[in-house]
Amino acid sequence: MAKVIFYDSARIKSPVFEEIREAIKYRNLILQLVRRDVLTRYKRSVLGIAWTLLNPLGMALVLTLAFSQIFRFDTVHGYAAFVLSGLLAWNFFSQTTTAAMVNLVWGGGLLNRIYIPRASFALAAIGTGMVNILLAIIPLILVNYITKVPFTPAFFFLPVPLLLLACFSLGVGLLISTMAVYFPDVAEMYQIVLSAWFYLTPIIYPTEVLPEALQFWIRLNPMYHLVNLFRLPVYYGRLPTWEELLPALFFSIITLIIGWWFFTKKSDEFAYRI
Amino acid sequence: MSSLIESKLADMETAASTSEEEVIRLENVSVQYRVPQERIGTFKEYAIRWVQGKVKHRYFGALQNVDLSVRKGEVFGLIGQNGAGKSTLLKLVARVLRPTSGRVIVKGFVAPLLEIGAGFHPELTGRENIFLNGAMLGFTRDEMEEKFQNIVDFAELGEFIDAPLRTYSSGMWARLGFAVATETQPEILIVDEILSVGDEAFQHKSLERIQAFKADGATILLVSHGMGMIEQMCQRAAWLSHGRIIAYGSAHSVVDQYLGQVREDESKRLTQESAEQPVHRWGDRRLEIRQVTISNAKNQEQNTFYTGEILVLKIEYFAHEPIVSPIIGVAIYRQDGVHITGPNTSFADIDFGVLEGPGTVIYTIPYLTLLEGLYSISVAMVNEEDTIIYDYHDRIYPFRVNNHGKKDSERYGLMTMRGEWSIIPPKS
Repeated sequence: MAKVIFYDSARIKSPVFEEIREAIKYRNLILQLVRRDVLTRYKRSVLGIAWTLLNPLGMALVLTLAFSQIFRFDTVHGYAAFVLSGLLAWNFFSQTTTAAMVNLVWGGGLLNRIYIPRASFALAAIGTGMVNILLAIIPLILVNYITKVPFTPAFFFLPVPLLLLACFSLGVGLLISTMAVYFPDVAEMYQIVLSAWFYLTPIIYPTEVLPEALQFWIRLNPMYHLVNLFRLPVYYGRLPTWEELLPALFFSIITLIIGWWFFTKKSDEFAYRI
Repeated sequence: MSSLIESKLADMETAASTSEEEVIRLENVSVQYRVPQERIGTFKEYAIRWVQGKVKHRYFGALQNVDLSVRKGEVFGLIGQNGAGKSTLLKLVARVLRPTSGRVIVKGFVAPLLEIGAGFHPELTGRENIFLNGAMLGFTRDEMEEKFQNIVDFAELGEFIDAPLRTYSSGMWARLGFAVATETQPEILIVDEILSVGDEAFQHKSLERIQAFKADGATILLVSHGMGMIEQMCQRAAWLSHGRIIAYGSAHSVVDQYLGQVREDESKRLTQESAEQPVHRWGDRRLEIRQVTISNAKNQEQNTFYTGEILVLKIEYFAHEPIVSPIIGVAIYRQDGVHITGPNTSFADIDFGVLEGPGTVIYTIPYLTLLEGLYSISVAMVNEEDTIIYDYHDRIYPFRVNNHGKKDSERYGLMTMRGEWSIIPPKS
């Protein structure tokens, strides 16, 4: 009944691959953590899980009321659908990276007492974000319908941008959670970085409103490519071109590799740092 | 000392290589923590110092060249003071830490009871927490489903199982944690002072369950500050001090060595403390107390005793002029000032006649009836009528009586009555 486990510290040659193996072995734990996060998030609220649907709707409504009156951006279809599609992608990124960091710093005492793969928290944060964004796609479809955004088969391309977004978020989440273990102020700093990053990414405004000079520099922002890649199938109703897809692919994979490498390299010190 | 350890380790090596039952093995294991020399609290500060090249690290050796072997089915104890490296060692076995150098081998499924209930979420119900905690130990939902009822029964939670954990008492919380960890049928159980949680009935139940594990052939690694518990539960033990293994072998011998060291340290401390105290001494010193020593039956100086031991008080004096029939007296006080006894040579009908020059008097306590506590002795020399004080040493000589665990037949209070119990069977 009990699991036969043979552990030999000398066998661990590469923590980078070891962590991948362990994370796969502990996939049930990661699922349970996702379950926990989804269940507890709205547990004490009256509307419960419905908030996952109402939250993006509310934000889209506020932003639409504010910006369609003040700035009057020219968007192909309705502004509400435009801003909501960008927001979903952005919220996924900002929420999962923050959750990865907070879970490790606050829940990491657990790593001191019991063996679990250290990346579990970050992976669970991504999983929770996935559940949330999949649920939030329902109000997105609703808003698309109301604002008469045409529905095309390109919509089914969505898993690809989602996957890349998850890779990028995981990479960033691992990087900042490693830093937050050593320096508590990273958590505060990250919130400031996030709000600056939000405005530097074409989420509430279309890229076209930017001056020529900025249009080049914005290509260095990975979130520009990822938000765009998410928006193409759901809002513009078309598949990305290679020029649109490749930078997103490049940034996501590189970030994930760097984040994973940095995290696993430092994670042996976590047990006495947290 | 070191050669002794080496020979013991060598014994262990041969025993281990012939026995396939070894489940935990540490080979020349060291753990070093890398900590910044100065505490750098913020990232900003770190960045500035890093640019300046001022980030220096200090290496703190939590464990140094530790060899250890635990066999299947044994209860192995770890003793030592706080910070000696016991927890670090447990973390190595639990896979929480990796050794800086050396090798750790663990065969079997490990359940840590390092801090039970760790990993519970207060907003989730008991039921949900059981599955979450099970997943942390590596069990699937289906596997936990099978164990579920047993866990609930053992933890005595009843209907509370569907209430969120924040509504639980700390006792319920601890019971649930213990139940989950032990219901997973670990082959190796790591127990770190946990048996102090919960009420007495539950402690008893937990202890029983651990005994049952032992009977089933599980291996238990036990850390405790209670030497009685170690002697009672463990076959073998290791004593860690400053990250090294000082003694290794049968639990009794390791505990004895450890207690010996504790006694020695205590004596040093007491002597040092008494040296620091202001001297309470008066008298004209025509008859002078030169030296007072407290020793044991073997005439070895010592200031910690167990109840029932022999205490020998040796008083060396020097009469600077002929003194006729002085009285030499002793008084024993407890630390809080309670005067326990005041024997003197006059009560004992001893007449010294005329004393001149050096001499020695011995007061022997054949059976120290005092119980655990701190005591001090006064020694005085006065004339026959008790009107002139030659030399008075007021509570200058301290000694300590320690609890001897199971060997003491009486406890609590001031002294043992050396009483005996007998049972008269009821008449039928």
